[in-house]
Amino acid sequence: MQAKAAVNEKPVHSINNAFASKFAKSMFLAICGLFILTFIGTRMFTHIDLNLYGYMVGTIVFLGGFFYRFIAWGERPPTKIIIKKGIKLLFRKSTPKTSVEHLATYRFIWNRGIYRWTQHVLIGWGCILACCVTFPLVFGWMYFTMDDNGMYNIILFGMQILTVPADGIIANLSYNALNITAVMVIAGVCMVLYRRFKNMQARAEQKFMYDFLPLVMLILVSVTGLLLTFLNMFMHGHGQPAMSLIHQWTVIITLIYLPFGKLAHIPFRPLSVFAKNYREYYGEQSMKKCKVCETEFVSTEQSKDVVEVLGVNDIHFKTEEGYHLAELCLPCRRKYRIAQFSGFPTHEVKVKEANQNAKG
Amino acid sequence: MTKKRLYLELENCIGCRSCLAACTQCGGHEERNRNYVYDVNPLVNRQTMPLMCLHCVNPACARSCPAQAIQIHETGAVLSALVEKCIGCQNCTIACPYGIPKFDTEQNLMYKCDLCIDRTKDGIPPMCASVCPSNTLQWLTDEEIENKKQQFNLDNGKWVTSLPYLEGETNVKVNLPGILQGVTKLF
Ligand code: HEM
Ligand code: SF4
Ligand code: SF4
Ligand code: SF4
Repeated sequence: MQAKAAVNEKPVHSINNAFASKFAKSMFLAICGLFILTFIGTRMFTHIDLNLYGYMVGTIVFLGGFFYRFIAWGERPPTKIIIKKGIKLLFRKSTPKTSVEHLATYRFIWNRGIYRWTQHVLIGWGCILACCVTFPLVFGWMYFTMDDNGMYNIILFGMQILTVPADGIIANLSYNALNITAVMVIAGVCMVLYRRFKNMQARAEQKFMYDFLPLVMLILVSVTGLLLTFLNMFMHGHGQPAMSLIHQWTVIITLIYLPFGKLAHIPFRPLSVFAKNYREYYGEQSMKKCKVCETEFVSTEQSKDVVEVLGVNDIHFKTEEGYHLAELCLPCRRKYRIAQFSGFPTHEVKVKEANQNAKG
Repeated sequence: MTKKRLYLELENCIGCRSCLAACTQCGGHEERNRNYVYDVNPLVNRQTMPLMCLHCVNPACARSCPAQAIQIHETGAVLSALVEKCIGCQNCTIACPYGIPKFDTEQNLMYKCDLCIDRTKDGIPPMCASVCPSNTLQWLTDEEIENKKQQFNLDNGKWVTSLPYLEGETNVKVNLPGILQGVTKLF
């Protein structure tokens, strides 16, 4: 009995090993990468701003959580397939267009409603722009200098990329970049909160930890960020060090929480581009014909993949006729079920399904 | 609060499609129904039957989802896709043994029956069961379902609430239509 148990345990053990080493490897590579970038950016550590030390530690803890969560997730059979085939299909002609629509302009959210699109553009772009400014600053990849002649320099990776008049538009935009993004995020989060209190579906499904905590954190980050500016400009920096610490604390908590809550969709949404490519590419290769009505309803590859994934989960759906239920088109599959209930082969009657849309 | 389940007595269906209309009105359904009504033998008679998500105990839709977008509620209801997670691969529509999940290409989002979770989580019957005029869709306790089972002749193989007649164990219970089996039902 004991011997058997040991044999059974073996595969589990080896998966655990692979998991641990994958995690360690990703973590190691990421930290090396960060180190090198910081080294270059700070010109061999000569331009480090030690006020930003907390952020550095936060980022590293975040990376730990991030890899832990996403490696476990990537081990799931359906996820593994999409990732593997998605990477293979990355260089399709349509990828740039799909990526822009899915990841930058969020056209599909527009189709869900203009209100939802607006709130997401404000939050999403607000955060992305803020990160584009904050991270390079934190790791010393970017900093600013002011010349005696009133010119303002933006320095990226030790190279002077832009010199503008210190009182010009671009300079003002860059002093205020984080204020602008903070206002965007606050406006967006307020819109989301309003919808979350009104919309019945949202009200039914939402949980504090999953849906509200990220919103609260985003608000806290933005408000404390704005307060920093306020203290600097109108209070002569009074209370600034304390506020700076509070702000740092909120950002770090948000980062660490990110892989585990709603915000986990950010690093992982690019998969929607993979999914689109996967459907387009294999759809062009060959389409699966429904075993009953011969309508082409999905790519042969996807049908095969789904059958395989279900098999891994010990779900087989074999019919008496010898096919897998996933090989029937959707209307035929529904009729096949009616046939199992009624004993009459509904799926073999060549009549289109009638009125399923509650329209009279 | 005793736990209640959706219970279908398929043979009662009169094809009025009230359940389809009701489903569109449930909180957050955005006026789109997530259930079906089928003609059993459309060229011969008018018998119809509703078809809806049976809320599988081991749901194929959720198992096949690469994004973990289909969550299982603590009541056992298998929820519609999480709006920020669904990546639009449509695996779930191919995986479901009854062809239930619907997909909106424009919104790149799957939507399916969520057992009207905004109602049922508080013990209120789902929309479709609330409006069904023929008692095809009912909202019953396990005890009441057990009584039904006694009432409709136990041990004669005419009860399909569970395996082996379905593809797997389900949270929604279904009864075999006596009419089509040639037995008269005593209400
Ligand atoms: C990579 C690009 C991104 C994509 C494709 C994406 C996609 C989505 C989608 C589809 C939703 C659901 C929206 C709805 O149906 O109403 C959503 C919600 C949300 N996204 Fe993003 N997102 C992205 C980046 C971001 C970023 C950078 C943030 C900033 C923190 C963010 C914050 C949020 C929040 C807070 C919600 C929840 C809104 C609510 O509670 O109703 N997203 N996202
Ligand atoms: S009936 Fe289909 S959609 Fe409903 S839980 Fe089962 S597999 Fe999912
Ligand atoms: S369409 Fe959405 S819900 Fe369905 S399997 Fe794909 S990601 Fe999951
Ligand atoms: S339980 Fe609710 S969501 Fe499901 S079919 Fe009935 S009305 Fe529609």
